[in-house]
Amino acid sequence: MTDPNGSGGTSGTRNLGTSSSDAHGREPSTAQVRPAGAAEHEALQEQPGPRLLQGDPGSPGRAGWWTGLGRGRRAARGGSRAERAALSVLGAVVLFALLGPLVWPDPAAQDLARFLERPSLSEPLGHDHLGRSVAARLASATRLSLLLAVLCVATAAAAGTVAGVLAAWRGGWIDAALRGTSEVLIALPLLLVVLVFSAMASGGLWTLYVGLALAQWVEYFRVVRARSALVLGAPAVEAAGLLQLGHAHLWRRHLWPELRPLLLTLATFGVGTSILALSTLGFVGVGLQPPTAELGLMVTEAFPYWSEAPWMSLAPVIVLTAVLLGLLGLRRQDGTDRVDGTQGAR
Amino acid sequence: MSIHLHELAVTTTGRALVDVTDLQLHRGRPVTIVGESGSGKSLLAHAVMGTLAAELRVRGSMSFDGQYLDLAHRATRRRLWGRTLALLPQEPVLALDPTMRVGAQVAEGAATWRTDRRQARTASSALLARLGLGGEVRAFPHTLSGGMAQRVAFAAATIGGAPVLIADEPSKGLDELARAELAALLRHHVETGGVLLTITHDLDLARTLGGDVLVMKDALVVERGPAEEVLDHPRHPYSRRLLAAEPSRWDHPWMRQHPTHTTTAGGRGGSRDTDAVLLTGAGLGKSFAGKTLFHDLDITVTAGERLALTGPSGSGKTTLGNVLLRLIPPDTGRVEHSPALAGGRLQKLYQDPAQAFPARVPLRHALGDVIRRHRCDPRHLDTLLGTLRLEHDLLARRPGQVSGGELQRLAIIRAVLLAPTLLFADEPTSRLDLITQEETVRCLMDQVEDTDCALVLVTHDEALATAVTGRRLTLHPSDTVRTGTTGSDQPALRRRPARALR
Repeated sequence: MTDPNGSGGTSGTRNLGTSSSDAHGREPSTAQVRPAGAAEHEALQEQPGPRLLQGDPGSPGRAGWWTGLGRGRRAARGGSRAERAALSVLGAVVLFALLGPLVWPDPAAQDLARFLERPSLSEPLGHDHLGRSVAARLASATRLSLLLAVLCVATAAAAGTVAGVLAAWRGGWIDAALRGTSEVLIALPLLLVVLVFSAMASGGLWTLYVGLALAQWVEYFRVVRARSALVLGAPAVEAAGLLQLGHAHLWRRHLWPELRPLLLTLATFGVGTSILALSTLGFVGVGLQPPTAELGLMVTEAFPYWSEAPWMSLAPVIVLTAVLLGLLGLRRQDGTDRVDGTQGAR
Repeated sequence: MSIHLHELAVTTTGRALVDVTDLQLHRGRPVTIVGESGSGKSLLAHAVMGTLAAELRVRGSMSFDGQYLDLAHRATRRRLWGRTLALLPQEPVLALDPTMRVGAQVAEGAATWRTDRRQARTASSALLARLGLGGEVRAFPHTLSGGMAQRVAFAAATIGGAPVLIADEPSKGLDELARAELAALLRHHVETGGVLLTITHDLDLARTLGGDVLVMKDALVVERGPAEEVLDHPRHPYSRRLLAAEPSRWDHPWMRQHPTHTTTAGGRGGSRDTDAVLLTGAGLGKSFAGKTLFHDLDITVTAGERLALTGPSGSGKTTLGNVLLRLIPPDTGRVEHSPALAGGRLQKLYQDPAQAFPARVPLRHALGDVIRRHRCDPRHLDTLLGTLRLEHDLLARRPGQVSGGELQRLAIIRAVLLAPTLLFADEPTSRLDLITQEETVRCLMDQVEDTDCALVLVTHDEALATAVTGRRLTLHPSDTVRTGTTGSDQPALRRRPARALR
C-alpha cells in the first residue's frame, strides 16, 4: 500500500476493462486503458499534497492550481475572497510544516535546563517541560498529521471509487456484498473503528492509517456507487455502447467528469476528519505514543503547565483550527462548482 | 377583461431577445405566437409572468382592468399568479412535483388552500374528474402518460380561477390524441370567457385554436393577423418558410425514392426475399407491470429500407425499438441481427440528443473518441460538419450549451461516421421546432441516402412518418399491430393506456 494512487487507479480501470458484457471485439489493450484512467485518478489523489506546495500562497495567480482541475470552467470566475483567504491559510500551514524542520531541526532533543523556557525570537513557542523546542515539535506534528490524513483520504477515495464503480457496473452479488460491508461499517462510529484498530496494535502509525482509511472508504463508495449507477443507466452510455467506444471512454468521458467534483468535495471533508480523528486519539492517549510529536498528544502533554505556559497548549489548537477553516473555505467553493456544473449540463 | 402590453423588450448585454411594441389580449379571442426556437416567444411569455431569469433585463408595461404594471419589476406579478395570471408550462411531466400525488398537487393552487384544505381538495378532485382524471387523483405524476400529465398541469394552472392563461409550448412531446384533447381544453378556456396566450411551434394547434396569430423571428413580430389569414396566406417570407416546413408540405428529392417494399396491410415483414435481411424479430412479446405492450410480433428490416414505428405515447414504440436493438431482452421471441450490423454499424439517434452525449465534456472529445476508436478519417468529420452546416467552434462546447437542433445534427454526424447499415431514430425531432425539424430531417435523410443505410424511425407524427418512410408499423395499446404502406388509411387512434411506459 505504498502507492495507493497508482494501484487504485490501475485496478479501477482494470475492473472497468474486464467487466464488459458487450463489445469484446475491439477492446483496447490494457496498456491503452490504463494511462487514461490512472493519470486522471492520480490527479485527484495528488492534489491536496504536492500541488498544495507549489507557488506562493496568497498571490493572485495561486488560485490556478486548484481551479485548474476545473479545466478553465472555474478559472473564468476567479477566486472569491474567502477562497483566497482559505488557500493562504492552508498554504501557510503547509509551508510551516515543510520549512519548520529546517529552522528547528530536532523535535525530540531534550535540554532539561531549558524547562518551560518562555518564547523568544529564535524559539517563538518556547520550550516544553522536557526542554524540547515546541516550534520543532509543532512543525513535525503538523507534517505528520497532514501526510497521514492525505494518505488516508487518498487510499479511502481510491478504494471507495473502485468499489463504487464496480458495484454500480456489475450489480448482482458484487453489489450486494459491497453494500452489505459498507452498511456494517457505516453503522459504527468512525472513531470506534479506528480505536479498535489502535487497540489491536497499540498506537502504531500503520494501524492508524489502516483504521482511518477503512473507516472512510465507505462514504466514497456510497456516493460513487449512487452517481455511477445514474451515469451508467443514461442514454449517453447506451450510445457509447452502440458506438463501441470501450471502457476507457466510459471512464474518462462519462464517469470521471461526473465523479470528480464529488470526490474533491468529499476529499476536502475527509482530510479534515482524518486530522481531527488523529488528534482526538492522541489527546485521549490511544493514538500515537510519545515521544512522537502529534497535535492531540501535544495538547495533552501541555495541559498540566497551562498556567505557566499557555502557548504550549494553544499552538496545536491554533494549527488544527487553521487547517479546518482552510479546508472549510475550499469545500464551499467546490460545492458551488458542482451546482454550476449541473446547470451547465442541463 | 383585456390585457395590453406596451413596448415590451427583453435584453441581455445589449442584445434584444424580445422587442414587441404592442400586444393586446382580449377575452374570448385566443392569441397564438408561433416561430422557431430562439425567436424569443417563450421569453415573451415569461416576461409577462415575471418569471424570467434575473440576468435578463426587461422593459415595458402591462395594463389590465385599469391597473398598470411596470414589467421591469418582476415581483409585481407574483400576487397575480394563480388568481389572475396562470402559466401552463412546457413538458408537464417535468413541471409536476414527482413526490406529490396529483390531487394534492392541484389542490395547492385552489383559492381556499390556506383557509380550507378540505374544500380545496374537493375542488381539486372535482376539476380532475371533469378533465377525465377522476381515477388518477391519488396517482403520482410518473405513472401518467404525457397527455394526462398535461391535463393535470392544466388543472393545476386553472384551479385558481385565473382568467389569463399563458400556455408555453403546451403540445411539445404529445401525440395527436393528447394534442386534440389539449386543444379542446384551451378552446374551452377561451369560450368560457378566458384570455389565452399560446406560445407554440405547432401550427396545427394554432389552426385549431384560431383567433389571432403572431409570427415571431429574431425577437420581432414579423407578421400578425387572424389565424386563417396568417396560416393560409402568409405575406412575410419567413411565415411562408415556416409553413413550408410542415412535414405534410415537404418536397424533397428523397421523398420520392422509397425502396418499393410495399405490402398489403396485415402482411408480415413486407420485404422481398431477395433483399438482404438486416434484422429479424420473431414472436416478440414484452410487458411491463402486467401490461402487455406487444405480443407475438414479427418484424423484418431489410437493407436500405425505411420503416416507421408509429403509435400513440405509451404504446411501446421505444421499447420495441430497444428490443430490436437488443438493448433490452424481449419476454418472448428472439431478435436476430445479420453480421452486416456488427462492429457499430447499427446506430441510434435519441429523442433528447443532450442525453446522448457525455454531459460534462466538450463535444470534440465525444466525437474525437469515435474517430480514434474506429480509426475514421478526421477529415470526414470536417466534411460532414460542412455538409450539415455546423460551425466547427461548436465542438468546443458541452452538450448543454448547444441548441437541440444542432446537437441532433451532431448526433447524426456521430452515427454516420461509422457508416451504419441501419440507423434507428427514436423520435429524433419531436423536441424541435418545425424549421429545425425540417433541417434536421433533411440532413438525416441526405446521409441515409448517401450511405444507403436502412432507417427505422420511431415517431408519433403521422405526417413525418408519411414524408420520410415507405413502410409503417403501427402499435396500438390493445396489442393489435398493423403494418402497411405509408399513406394507407390508418385506423382511428384508440384510447391511450392508463399508464404510459416509455
